[in-house]
Amino acid sequence: MVDQKVPVTILTGYLGSGKTTLLNKILSEEHGKRIAVIENEYGEVGIDQGLVINADEEVFEMSNGCICCTVRGDLIRVLGNLMKRRDKFDYVLVETTGLADPGPVAQTFFMDDEIRDEFTLDGIVTLVDAAHIDQQLGRSNESSEQVAFADVLVLNKSDLVSDESLAKLETRLRGMNSIARVIRSEQANVSVESVLNLSAFDLDQILERRPTFLEPEYPFEWTGVFHLEPGCYQVSLEEGPDPTMSLVMIPNQETTDEDLIESAEKCVRYFATPAVSINPNDFITTDTHINLQLESKGEKYFLINIPEEQNIGLFTQHTAEEFNIKVKRVSEKLEDNPNSSKSIISSIKERTWVAEHEHDDEVGSIAFDYLGNVDPDKINTWLGKLLAEKGVDIFRTKGFISYAEESRRIVFQGVHMLFTAQPGQEWGNEPRRNQLVFIGRNLDEDQMRQEFEQCLT
Amino acid sequence: MLHDGWSAQVNDYALACGWTPDCQILITGDVAGGLYAFEGSSGSLIWQHQEVHQGGLLALAVHPIRSLLATAGQDGVVHIWDCLQGKIVESLSPGKGWAEHLCWSNDGSLLAIAISRRVYVFTIEGKEEWRSTEQPSTVSSIRWSSTNELALSCYGRVLFVEPINNKITQQLEWPGSLVSMVLSPNGDIVACGSQDNSVHFWRRSTGKDAEMTGYPGKPSQLAFDQTGRFLATGGSETITVWNFQGDGPEGSLPGRLSIHPEPISSLSFANSGPLLASGARDGSIFVWYVDNNGDGDLVGGAFVGDLISTVSWRPDDAALAVVNSNGGVEVFNFKTRN
Repeated sequence: MVDQKVPVTILTGYLGSGKTTLLNKILSEEHGKRIAVIENEYGEVGIDQGLVINADEEVFEMSNGCICCTVRGDLIRVLGNLMKRRDKFDYVLVETTGLADPGPVAQTFFMDDEIRDEFTLDGIVTLVDAAHIDQQLGRSNESSEQVAFADVLVLNKSDLVSDESLAKLETRLRGMNSIARVIRSEQANVSVESVLNLSAFDLDQILERRPTFLEPEYPFEWTGVFHLEPGCYQVSLEEGPDPTMSLVMIPNQETTDEDLIESAEKCVRYFATPAVSINPNDFITTDTHINLQLESKGEKYFLINIPEEQNIGLFTQHTAEEFNIKVKRVSEKLEDNPNSSKSIISSIKERTWVAEHEHDDEVGSIAFDYLGNVDPDKINTWLGKLLAEKGVDIFRTKGFISYAEESRRIVFQGVHMLFTAQPGQEWGNEPRRNQLVFIGRNLDEDQMRQEFEQCLT
Repeated sequence: MLHDGWSAQVNDYALACGWTPDCQILITGDVAGGLYAFEGSSGSLIWQHQEVHQGGLLALAVHPIRSLLATAGQDGVVHIWDCLQGKIVESLSPGKGWAEHLCWSNDGSLLAIAISRRVYVFTIEGKEEWRSTEQPSTVSSIRWSSTNELALSCYGRVLFVEPINNKITQQLEWPGSLVSMVLSPNGDIVACGSQDNSVHFWRRSTGKDAEMTGYPGKPSQLAFDQTGRFLATGGSETITVWNFQGDGPEGSLPGRLSIHPEPISSLSFANSGPLLASGARDGSIFVWYVDNNGDGDLVGGAFVGDLISTVSWRPDDAALAVVNSNGGVEVFNFKTRN
């Protein structure tokens, strides 16, 4: 049997963002794994169990002054010792101080040959205090770098801010880092699977799960989940700003953030198919891109038939507010007034989606998506030059490109100037394309785009 | 030539081993804190203890003159043991953190201990003689340069101190991460393996320093021969040997000893003569006769299966002990044809 490398998750975030709470949650869950925790911060909350090693954060710069060679000496020492034991660990969590730059932590797993032989960086999880991150982003570079490096952004303490502020914050964070998965949580209450075993640095695996890994710009703004007994229901819309609105109805919709995101990705694909236009009093079918015709005056009704008790999710192009969307039960007894408050069904979950990215943060993401092939020599020269000149300001690079001569995708992964490119999945019959994301500070998107286009054949 | 001697097995990754000065006992420690005393010529187990340090063992050092041994571990404790009886004679708890490095002074009167960012010096009776100020980072290595002068390396510098006089005698600086350190036997040359795949050295008498770059890996394994002429370094499958005689090694080509299929994991010169023992990550061990240029001829070799963590010459050079990451302990008898 081949020795498996031990996966490592880096947990970053400001003091008070909930890192220790999340650590405790991970450690207390039944997973049958031996987890070692390396802690750099002596938090106010103790860690409950598991092997906890306190290490002083020791950032080792090299004599050549190259920032990508900067590593964390404490990790090399502690991990080197941990891995000698016969009763090895199945997983390692590294908790950094609130002020830590995640770069050297991540680089340690690429730069040190002994660490690289034993460990694999699984992902970087950044906790964000939803109530305070806006100010923190303005005040400190560390905070925006922690967002920039993340594979998962946990928007913690989301119960302490309004939905509107959350949506704004999500827009801002997505603008800074478009490859991270954003999870909302209260008291760091996220599922362990959403932060461990991400294989975030194994792009090949990510691409298998999500063929287009670029975070979609959702073509819908609102989702409402309704719990419905068997029967017939009306979706009512008042006059709104647009003459049509498209939506997708998802059956058996669960209400966790993960479930909503999963359905959202499904809906992105439905929305990409031609819409079926329906008129008022027509039935809405599930898993279909539907375009509601709203030209007629006054309130309009569309019908839903529910054969058995379930939650349905409505993913709508515009927010519910704009049309005052309501779901009402249609009673079998005609004398009951369908507009009585009793028959109105309240949603059990609502959320708004970020429709567009606009931001003015220094840190941001640039995503390229081009069909066709690139020239291997040209792209290597360009990337080499780009990373040599701008590597300090480019935090993460992820993506894949296509060479005409190669039957597989060339998969990219980078932290600052450290960069790997290797063949991944076969293209098969899929159209050749190139998707690259750069997350960095003050990147010149127009220039980079121009230069990248020069590399296309 | 290496001839089969004896072999034994310990319970976990064998971290280090050492011979008592009378060649009678081989001490071996494993990372889980198992400590074992084997009869030097037969390999029969004299005594053993498990979990002598909570969390695991990090270092052991056999006394240069007496039948004593010091062990250090993750619990921050240092035990001094009687090698014959297997009994603790002193237990020291000088500071908080991992106790990672131990070094007896050449006359055996003092024991230096590195814990996190500090170094402590104790007398053999267990009395604290001195403690360093907090260093800029965790101390990576400690060595005695003479009976009363101690060298300590950490990120960015090597410091020389006289603990008895509480006096700093020299500070050598280099903006890099120094992960290991050796001194030439006369204490004049300080060589450090660096995280950025280089070896940095200083001549203390002239204050001159130089950097040897081009290693494919981190050259943490360093060994001076007893004359101070050769410095053998790891950092790849090939052993690079620098010759300090004359004007060298600056501007000179090093000797290169190539045969190990995987990177070097342990190096040790014999107590007399230009004989170098090397162990690698694949479990291969070789003994080289190093010639004037630093190149060498193979005089023996063996394969013991797993990463060699320590090779240790018996004080009379008539045997070589090798311990590995699988808990294997092998002793080879060593003979040269004249």
